[in-house]
Amino acid sequence: MYPRAFHYHRAGSLREAASMLSEFGDAKLLAGGQSLIPLMKLRYANPSHLVDLNFIEGTSYIKEESGVLRFGALTRHAEIEASTVAGKIPIIHDCAAGIADVQVRNRGTIGGSLAEADPSGDWATVLITLQTEVRCQKSQGDRRVQLTDFIKDAYTTALAQDELVSEVVVKVPPKGSAGAYLAFKRSAPVYPTASAAVQLTMDGETCKDAAIALGCVGLTAIKAKDAEAALRGQRVTEKTIAAAVEAARAVADPQSDMRGSVDYKRMLAGSLVKRAIDIADRRARGEQVEAGHIYA
Amino acid sequence: MSSAEDTNNWVGKSLPRKEENRLLRGRGKFADDIKLRAMLYLRFVRSPYAHARIVSLDTSAAEVLPGVACVLTGAEIAKTTQPFIEIGPDPFAKIKDYPLAVSKVRYQGEPVAAVVAESPAEADDAAELVQSEYEALDPVVDAEKALEDKSLLHEDVGTNRVWNGVFEYGDVEGAFKEAAYVVNIDRLHFHRFSSTPLENNVVIAQWNPKDERIYYQCNNSFPSFAIQFLAAHLGVHIDRIRVETSDIGGSFGIKITSYPQMAVCALASKKAGGRPVKWVETRSEHITSSAHGNERTFRDTRVALDKNGVITALVSRHIDDCGAYPRYEPLGCVIWSQVFPGVYRFKNARIDFSQAVTNKCPVGPNRGYSRMQHLWFLERIVDICAHKIGIAADEMRLRNYILPEEFPYTTPNGCVYDSGNYPKMLQVAKSLFGWDDWKIKQAAARKEGRLIGIGIGTTLDSGTNNFGQSQIVNPFLPYSGNSQGANCKLDIYGEVVLAVGSCPQGQGHETTAAQVVADVLNVHPDLITVRTGFDTERNVHTGFSGTYASQFAVSGLSAVHGAAQKLKSEIKRLAAFALNTKEDDLEFGSGAQGPEIRAKSSGKSINYWGLSNLVNANSASLPSDLYEITLNCRYVWRAPFKVPDTKKKYGSLTLTYASQLHVAVVEVERDTFIPRILDYVAVDDCGTVINPSIVEGQVYGATAHGIGAAVMENCVYDAVGNMLTSTFSDYTPITAMNMPKVKYGHIETPSPHSYSGAKGMGEGGAAPIHTISAALQDALFANDIIIEDSFNNADSLFRAMAAKEIRHVVSIEKRI
Ligand SMILES: Cc1cc2nc3c(=O)[nH]c(=O)nc-3n(C[C@H](O)[C@H](O)[C@H](O)COP(=O)(O)OP(=O)(O)OC[C@H]3O[C@@H](n4cnc5c(N)ncnc54)[C@H](O)[C@@H]3O)c2cc1C
Repeated sequence: MYPRAFHYHRAGSLREAASMLSEFGDAKLLAGGQSLIPLMKLRYANPSHLVDLNFIEGTSYIKEESGVLRFGALTRHAEIEASTVAGKIPIIHDCAAGIADVQVRNRGTIGGSLAEADPSGDWATVLITLQTEVRCQKSQGDRRVQLTDFIKDAYTTALAQDELVSEVVVKVPPKGSAGAYLAFKRSAPVYPTASAAVQLTMDGETCKDAAIALGCVGLTAIKAKDAEAALRGQRVTEKTIAAAVEAARAVADPQSDMRGSVDYKRMLAGSLVKRAIDIADRRARGEQVEAGHIYA
Repeated sequence: MSSAEDTNNWVGKSLPRKEENRLLRGRGKFADDIKLRAMLYLRFVRSPYAHARIVSLDTSAAEVLPGVACVLTGAEIAKTTQPFIEIGPDPFAKIKDYPLAVSKVRYQGEPVAAVVAESPAEADDAAELVQSEYEALDPVVDAEKALEDKSLLHEDVGTNRVWNGVFEYGDVEGAFKEAAYVVNIDRLHFHRFSSTPLENNVVIAQWNPKDERIYYQCNNSFPSFAIQFLAAHLGVHIDRIRVETSDIGGSFGIKITSYPQMAVCALASKKAGGRPVKWVETRSEHITSSAHGNERTFRDTRVALDKNGVITALVSRHIDDCGAYPRYEPLGCVIWSQVFPGVYRFKNARIDFSQAVTNKCPVGPNRGYSRMQHLWFLERIVDICAHKIGIAADEMRLRNYILPEEFPYTTPNGCVYDSGNYPKMLQVAKSLFGWDDWKIKQAAARKEGRLIGIGIGTTLDSGTNNFGQSQIVNPFLPYSGNSQGANCKLDIYGEVVLAVGSCPQGQGHETTAAQVVADVLNVHPDLITVRTGFDTERNVHTGFSGTYASQFAVSGLSAVHGAAQKLKSEIKRLAAFALNTKEDDLEFGSGAQGPEIRAKSSGKSINYWGLSNLVNANSASLPSDLYEITLNCRYVWRAPFKVPDTKKKYGSLTLTYASQLHVAVVEVERDTFIPRILDYVAVDDCGTVINPSIVEGQVYGATAHGIGAAVMENCVYDAVGNMLTSTFSDYTPITAMNMPKVKYGHIETPSPHSYSGAKGMGEGGAAPIHTISAALQDALFANDIIIEDSFNNADSLFRAMAAKEIRHVVSIEKRI
C-alpha cells in the first residue's frame, strides 16, 4: 500500500521542526518512521505534512552527566543496544536489544517510541521503573515532564500540538540497584504479549526499594504499586515474590487479541514479574545475567 | 582427455546451487522487477463483510480521479465472461465463481471492484473512492455448521456440501466384531494455515487488441492449469494465452490458484486499450484472500485394535472446509487417499468424506496438500490409542508400520507404495536423538513436576500424482496420468541448453537438471545452461507442467534424462559420421576446446561447436540420411498410470512415496505455557538422493513450516467471519528466532518407480505438526488432556490446562 500524498519538509533544527508543526497544523514528525510509516501506508494516518527530523545535527547521543543519562530524541534503539554507557543500566540494555528486529532497531528512536505511546511499546514500561524525565521543545522554550505524567493514555502524551521530544533524561540508579526487563513475544517483528520491568534496590538481604511495571496489559504501561509494596522493606523470598506476583496480576488489565486471551496475558504478566525479580535480585548481587525478550 | 571430474557421477553430489549466485546476491528477476512501457497498476477494492449482498457499488468518483485509466466491477465483467469452470460434478458446477463478486460477497477480502491507474499510489487513491453498500447475511464460518445448510453460500447449488464420497475397503464390521479394543474419538481438528511465500502474488497482463492475444508475466506456479481456467472464463481460444514465469519467491502451492486475479488483470488491460496492467499483492491481501490450506474436522472416529494394539479397522467422518469457492477443490477430497493408510498396515476402513463451503478465504493446495491433514489424523489416532491402551508410542508404531519386506506395498485403495523402511528410520532417529537418555531425563523432570513429552511423527510425501484420480471426484474430467517435458539441445555455437517446463521457487531445479545432463554427456554441470520457468511459447511444457506436488525429481528429471539421452544419440550419429568411425568407438568428454566427442581408435575428436556447425552452418558435406538430426531434442516423459476405478475409488494414485520421521522433546513451561522444543530430529527418506544439500535444505524448510504451523501460525476468523490474523504481526509466520536446532538424518530406499531411484520430497508431509502434537500429548496425557487440535500455542495450552472440566473426547471399550 502507498500513503496518501503529503508534503515533505526537512527541518534544520528541533526548534524549526516545532515551528513547522504550529505553522502547518495537520503535520507529523518523522523520526525512525517505524510506527508512522506503516500507519501511513495502511492509510490509518494521513498527515498533509511530514516534518523529517532525521537530518538535524546533534539529536542522537547518549551522555552520562552528573548522575543522569541523556538520550537525544533521535537516538536509535540499536545505538542504545550497542552503547557501553547505556549498558550501565542493564534494564535499558535488556529493552534496547530486544525491540523487534535489527531493521526496526536500526531505524526506531527512543523519542519516537515515547511520543507514539503505543500501549505495547517497550520503552515506557522500562523507563517508568527508573526516574525518567522527558524534555519537550516548542519553537519558543522547552520544559521537562516526568515520564509518568508524559504518557496520558494509549497513543496520547502531554505534548502540545506544536511540541516535540528533544531528550530523554534517566537518573542513574544508586549502587546496589539493578533491574531486569522481560518481554514475551511470539516472533521478532511482533510486539510482546506481555512484559515486565523490575528494578530492585537492595540493602544487603533487604529490598530497600522496588519498582515494577507491566507492559502490553493495559492502555499504558502499568506501575504495579502493590507489587512494589509487597517487596519494599522485605527480604526477597518465595513468599514475598508470590505476593508481588499476585499483586501484579491483579493490576494487569489486558485485552484479548491474537497475542493471547485476557486470562493468559494476566497469568503471563505475573510469571514474567517473577522471573524478572529473580534476575534483578541476582544482578543486584553482582551476578552477570542475560535477559531480555523471550521468544515463544 | 578425461579428467578426474569426468566420472559420470554428478548425480548424488552436493553441488552448490547454480542459481545461488543470482538469487543470494539479489540479482534474480521476479515478476515485480518487470517494468513495461505504459504500464498501469491495479488495485482491488475488497469486501469488509464475510457474507453480504452487494446493495450498491458506486465507482463514479474513482473513475474521474486524474490518473485513473478504468474501473471494473463484478457486474460489468459478468456480462462478458463465463464463471470459472468448476472441477466438481453437478450440482456443484452451478457455483458461479467470478473473479470480482457479482451480487454477493462470500468472504472478507473478496474483491468487488478493481481500479487501474497510472501509478500504484493513484490506484490506491482511487480505490478509497469506491463507495459500497452491503446488506449483511448470516455468515457460516464453521464447516460442520455449514453442512446444516441454514445459510447458503451458493443458493443455486442448494447446499453448502460441495462433495461427498465414501471410501470403504476391507471388512470393517468383521474387524470391529473381533476387536480386543475399540477406541472412540469424538472430534479432532486440523487448523487452517498457509505457508506464506516471501513473495506475494504478482501478475502483469497485456491483452493485445491487434491479435487478441493475452500475454502474462506472473508468478503462478502451475500455469498449465491456470490457462485452462482463464481461456474458458475469458472466452478466448486457449492457444491465445501466453504465460511466462521468471524467478518465483516461494509458492508452496498457494500460487496455483491466482487465476482469478490473472483474469481481472487481462480484462483491465483490454478495457485500457491493451496497455499492460500490473497487480502486486500486499501482504494483508495475501493473507486474507489468496489461498489458505485446507481445514479439516474428523468426527466420530472409531478404531478397532487387536490385543497387541495392532489397528485392524477404522471408521470416521471427515469434513473438509474449502472456504468460499472450491477452485482447486474438490480435488483435495481424493488426494488425501494417496496415503489412505498412512504408514500403517490396517486393511479395513470406512471414511465418509465431505467438503463444505464456508465464508472464509478459498483454500489452495498448500504444502503437504490434503495428505498432511489425513496423516496428522492417523498419527493422532496411533498416539491416542497407544496412550489409552498403555503401549509406548515407539512400540505402537513398530507394531503397526508396514514392514520393509512388504514393499512394493499395495494399500487397501490400490495405491502402490514403492519402497520404504519405517522401522529403520525410527532407529536412525532414536540414535541421533539419544532416545534412552531423553527417556531418563524425562522421567527425572516429571518427578520435579515439569511437563515434558517425547513425540514421534511419521509421515509420507506422495509425489508424481495420477491426474486420473480427478475422475474419482468427477468422472467427466478429461485428465489422467502425468507427464512432463524437457528440451535438450546443442545451440548453434555448441552450448548445451536445457529447457524444462517447471517453475521452481528455490528448489534448485537448474542444478539438479544440470547434474543429470552432465552425467549423460560427461561434461561439467557448469557448462550446461538450464532454462527453467514456464513459457507457453517455448514449447517444452506439457499439460501438467509447473512446480507442485513433489514431483520434479521424478517427472521433471525423467524428462530431462530422456531429452539428454535423445540428444546424446543424435550427437553420436553425427560424430560417427564426422570422425569416420562407429558409434561404439566414441567417447564423451572434455578437451582443450571444451566438451567434445573423441574416437578411441584414431584419437581424433570434434567439439560441440564443430558438431553444431555440421547441422547449422557448415552442412554441405552432411549426407541426407542425417538431415533428420536437429540437435534439438524434446522429450515427454509419461507416468505409467491407469485410470483408477472411480466407483470403487481404487487404483494407483501416485508414483513415489518419500517418508519422513521426526522426533521431538517438547516442554510445556509451567509458568508461561510456551511449548518449548528442547530437542528435534528429522530423518528423511526420498530414495536415491540427487543432491544431498538441496534435499537437506528442503527438509529444513519443511520442518520450519511444520513447526510454525504447529505452534505459531493459524488463520483465525471470528464468529462473523472477520479474519483476525491479517498481518504478519498477528499471523506470526515462523522465523529463524523461533527455530530449534534440527538434527538431520537420512536413509535411502531407492524407488523402483523412477529411473534414478529418486522420489519427490519437496512438500515434506508436515511431520512437525504430527510430532509436536504427539509430544504435547505425551507431556499432558497424565493431566488427562488429549491433543485434539493441530494448532497448540501457549495460550491454547494454558486454557486447556486451566479448564475446570476435562473434556472427554476419547473413550475406550476393552473387550478382553
Ligand atoms: C515490525 C515492527 C515491530 C515493532 N516491534 C516493537 C516492539 O516489540 N517494541 C517496541 O517498543 N516497539 C516496536 N516497534 C516500534 C518501534 O520501536 C518504533 O521505533 C517506535 O514505536 C517509534 O519510533 P520511531 O522513531 O520509529 O517513530 P516514528 O514512527 O517516526 O514516529 C512515531 C510517532 O511519534 C512522533 N514522533 C517521532 N519523534 C518524535 C519526537 N522527537 N517528538 C515528538 N513526536 C515524535 C511521530 O510524529 C509519530 O506520530 C516495532 C515496529 C515495527 C515496524
